[in-house]
Amino acid sequence: MVILFNAFNGLIQGAFYALMAVGLSLILGLNGVINFAHGGFMAMAAYFAYTLIPYVGFWGALLIAPILAGAVGYVVEQLIVRRLYLRDPLYSLLATFGLALIIQDLLRTIWGAQGVPLTIPDFLNQPLSDVYFFITGYRLFVVALAIISTIGLFAILRFTRLGIRIRAGNSDLETIAAVGVNIYLLRSANFVLGIMFAGLAGILAAGQIGLTPTMGDELIMPSFVAIVVGGVGSLLGSLVGGLIIGVASGVTAAVYPAATEVIIYVIMGIMLVARPRGLFGQEGLLE
Amino acid sequence: MSSQATEIKHDAAPLQKPAFQQRYAFICLAVALLTVPVWLPLLGGYTDLASRVLIFALAAMGLNLLLGFTGGLSFGHAAYFGLGAYGTGLMLANYTHSTLLAVAVGTMIGGLAATLLGPIAVRRRGIYFSMITIAIGQMFYFIAVRWNSFTGGEDGLTGFSRQPIHMPGFTISLHTTSFYYLVLVCFAVGSWILWTILNSPLGHVFVAIRENQKRLTFLGIRVDVYIAVSFAISGFVVALAGSLDALLDNFTSPDNLKYTLSGNLLIICVLGGMRNFWGPLVGAFIFVLVQDYISSITQNWMTVIGLVFVLSVIFFPLGAMGFFRRRSRS
Amino acid sequence: MSLLTLQNVSRRFGALTALNNISLTVEPGELRAVIGPNGAGKTTLFNLISGFFPPSDGSIMFDGEPIMAVNPAILVKKGIIRTFQITEIFLDLTVYENIRVAVEVAMGISLRPWINAATRAKVNARVEELMEIVKISHKADRVAGEMSHGDQRVVEVGIALSRHPKLLLLDEPTAGMGDEETNHMTDLIRSLNKTQNITILFIEHDMNIVFGVADRITVLDNGTMLAEGTAKEIADNPRVQAAYLGQAA
Repeated sequence: MVILFNAFNGLIQGAFYALMAVGLSLILGLNGVINFAHGGFMAMAAYFAYTLIPYVGFWGALLIAPILAGAVGYVVEQLIVRRLYLRDPLYSLLATFGLALIIQDLLRTIWGAQGVPLTIPDFLNQPLSDVYFFITGYRLFVVALAIISTIGLFAILRFTRLGIRIRAGNSDLETIAAVGVNIYLLRSANFVLGIMFAGLAGILAAGQIGLTPTMGDELIMPSFVAIVVGGVGSLLGSLVGGLIIGVASGVTAAVYPAATEVIIYVIMGIMLVARPRGLFGQEGLLE
Repeated sequence: MSSQATEIKHDAAPLQKPAFQQRYAFICLAVALLTVPVWLPLLGGYTDLASRVLIFALAAMGLNLLLGFTGGLSFGHAAYFGLGAYGTGLMLANYTHSTLLAVAVGTMIGGLAATLLGPIAVRRRGIYFSMITIAIGQMFYFIAVRWNSFTGGEDGLTGFSRQPIHMPGFTISLHTTSFYYLVLVCFAVGSWILWTILNSPLGHVFVAIRENQKRLTFLGIRVDVYIAVSFAISGFVVALAGSLDALLDNFTSPDNLKYTLSGNLLIICVLGGMRNFWGPLVGAFIFVLVQDYISSITQNWMTVIGLVFVLSVIFFPLGAMGFFRRRSRS
Repeated sequence: MSLLTLQNVSRRFGALTALNNISLTVEPGELRAVIGPNGAGKTTLFNLISGFFPPSDGSIMFDGEPIMAVNPAILVKKGIIRTFQITEIFLDLTVYENIRVAVEVAMGISLRPWINAATRAKVNARVEELMEIVKISHKADRVAGEMSHGDQRVVEVGIALSRHPKLLLLDEPTAGMGDEETNHMTDLIRSLNKTQNITILFIEHDMNIVFGVADRITVLDNGTMLAEGTAKEIADNPRVQAAYLGQAA
């Protein structure tokens, strides 16, 4: 029972990792940037939602806040990130790292360093069963939304013109540039899409664990691990990787609490030794 | 193609300038560093600040062996810095009164960790390599946070202080000034080692790896082995710096293991100029001073540091010493 | 004994057959050109010999040993060195430094973190010697990336020579060069073969070079071996004329 409880907790956590990792992975693939500011954007969206809820309600905020974060992401991409595409990855890494510091600092200045709760609709807060008291509506909702939005993303990538171009750009940017696709526009759109995923993760996570300016910090590292475990270049890998490490650390929390965080790095280490390209990764991508 | 027959001087390593100019600059640097406790207070600085500059310079120079000279972008070197710091702190807190032994042990722990973990990271290249180094680094952060009883957890490790060094016939007390000189000696030894390596066949291969891995592979070299060696050496140097950092503050905390510190070390390399041997020293000077000053005048120092990152990356990618980048004499 | 023997070698990529049933022998000291239209399988042939990938069928012998499943690094030590269609050198280093790192690797000292004066002198002498051989000494201190394409190719040959090749594979050594550079490279190839006694296999499109320099010529077409012989035999071969020379003229 305790194990089940923790495994389920881990699954929720894993859903956050997965949403973060999918967005990161998207940006890593087409933009070639490890977006260190991803955690910052995530927290930003959560604070936007926090501010919006009194006016538009939870559902409105859930819709609008990621779009607002995406808009900020667009500005950032235009002003900073796009200047660095042609340079060594070091520079985009450092620039987004600097951005992460700035965002965190601004969030703290505006909303304060103290954590605040995010109000979620009452009916979602009820446990669904007396025995499995930990399965609240909200938690199921989080997992469901993570899965639905990821499926939605897959659908976008598979069936829309934008998505098909993003996928093509992932495998060969030069070729699609040669056939006349505006790769700068494509990269902007892709970056914004990735940020919106972070935003969604942020709001959902805030409903579960509350808001702090540093909330993204705690989620971004496991998301990196999720990408490595799932395999760089594979969105499905990021999703599965996120869920796996979430559940693994949840279960570990029950068995040996001190290793709750460390376990995910151990999993990564084992994966790197046994299967360096990750669960669903392709050989040689981004190297 | 008109190429006049130039006088050929073959000792030119990728980091050397004409010998005369270089020697002159080096002597100036040495004199300036040796006399810090004399002139720094006159400018309103304090000696510990200079120690910190040198410690970060040493760490960044160690990292730069991998980053600037081998072309390996590690975002996880804070781990080896922190392990050096914790190793030294724990030794002094629990096992020994010898400062030098504690430094040696701290350096060994950090360096050996890099030696063991480098081979895992080099299984992948490029951006993927960076991500793995970040993640490996964070593992130590969480260990330090969770292993409360041993490491002091999130509050950090206290309960130790640097002890006088007893030599046959005399004792060095390691107050502020003499500690600065200990740091300076370590810095000098560390940079001498790095310099020697960069001018050795091994160092030549490192630079060649940065330039063209495929060519080296087809000269019969296992490139990943050499990157791992570079990783290990740079880990030892960074660990030495971390160990000194613990002594400087008589304190260390999980922050010294966190990726934020890795980012700071990287920006120090970039600020000063990654392709220049002394670049990280210049970068450390700029970064530590800016950080010290900014954090004393505003709460929002993080924003300022963040802007330093963003702006320097966009506008000064070659760093302060980038202007001195070698051009061919044609 | 022949230096290099390929017997019934084929290489397929999925459904595509890049090389089909190739047999050829290269004798020690030979200067052999490989010609053929684009897509004939020339570079695939080089990739097989240099261990880039193994053949799908057939055997490759070098110096009396089979080398079908040997990785490139080992082949380099056995004496098979290649250059690439796209020049692979160290662009940010000087000519001298380019060749020096190759020499240090070849001397087996590349893991040494220090160097003494005696070794340094030995390295130096060898680098000088190689720069003399490829006639680039006067540009020793130029940064490779800022030199002309022709000079960069020469540097690459210098790097390749550092490993004392028994068999040197040159993939289009004169591609993209001007007349003067081409002459320099042609002279170099000839002198490496005649005075340094290095067996050379080279891919070339320029027929003047091929017929002027090569002892023997192998003609590939569409993954198969069309003909092999001396320059005169090839020039007179009606199949070659039909398939290749006719269209090139």
